[in-house]
Amino acid sequence: MKLSHLLTPELIKVGLENSTKEKIIQELIDIVVAQGLVSDTDQAFMDVMSRELQQSTGLEAGIAVPHGKSTSVDQLVGALGISEEGIDFASLDGKPSHLFFLLIAPPNMSGPHVRALANIAKFSQNSRYRNMLTEASSSEEAYRIIKQAETEDI
Amino acid sequence: MSFKTRPEKIMVFVEANEESITAAQYAVCLARWLNCELYAVYVVDVKTLHDLLKAKIFVEMEEMDYQHDLEEDGRRYLNYVRDLAESKGVHIYTDLLKGDVVAEIQRKVEEIDVDLLVMGKLEEPESRRDFYYNDGERIFRRTPCPAIMVKEDEPVRLMYDQL
Repeated sequence: MKLSHLLTPELIKVGLENSTKEKIIQELIDIVVAQGLVSDTDQAFMDVMSRELQQSTGLEAGIAVPHGKSTSVDQLVGALGISEEGIDFASLDGKPSHLFFLLIAPPNMSGPHVRALANIAKFSQNSRYRNMLTEASSSEEAYRIIKQAETEDI
Repeated sequence: MSFKTRPEKIMVFVEANEESITAAQYAVCLARWLNCELYAVYVVDVKTLHDLLKAKIFVEMEEMDYQHDLEEDGRRYLNYVRDLAESKGVHIYTDLLKGDVVAEIQRKVEEIDVDLLVMGKLEEPESRRDFYYNDGERIFRRTPCPAIMVKEDEPVRLMYDQL
């Protein structure tokens, strides 16, 4: 599933307010909860954190992809949080993370979940769009950048 | 592909979506009208799972877990397609494969000498990348045998129901 199909401007937050892993994940979950996409906030948090405890999803180049399967959703849901300053998310390269892609999928929807993760991986490889997204000043602008990246062949 | 006066082997490419079911219904109709052997193939995309592991988005346990889920999806869809065929008196061979989706379909088409590949409607490409790298697009363009894409679901469903 394409990021532009998964996300809307309402599911993107520019300027994350928190600075610890747990609180960032909760802040991302709050975005999808606000859109009525999650039935059980605590369950969603526990499911994402339980994956996070196996190995940090803080990757390289400022990208983090907290994700998990959860019965708290009935479709694949996602949110994007952006921090221009960067946050310590125990990333693989030890550098601060700037772009946080949250994905939560119901247990029986692994296909779309895998495809969405693959699209995030693809997006992450393009430093130009990564930087543009990190510097986006609004959720609308961030969404436009994602859409542009997809149509311009990242 | 050897010379034949009519298609003898039809293969339907099954994915976990509604479009594949429509394609399967059409393939069942074709197989019965033309008295063909019918095959249904689903490929578990383990290449993407490996890529996600390499990118460190997945941990090993997670890769295995998702592979298991995708295999279950594949079995469920193939069983459904088998029911569609058998309920119309058409025998069907089903195969759950693992690997690179495009390569596996191409290999299977050659292995069983398929005369006609049937697949579901593809999403409208939004970029050149979609056009060149989408698995369905690549299968449709690269398959060594004739291929048809089943576009309309309602007429096909009616056709299947009346078979």
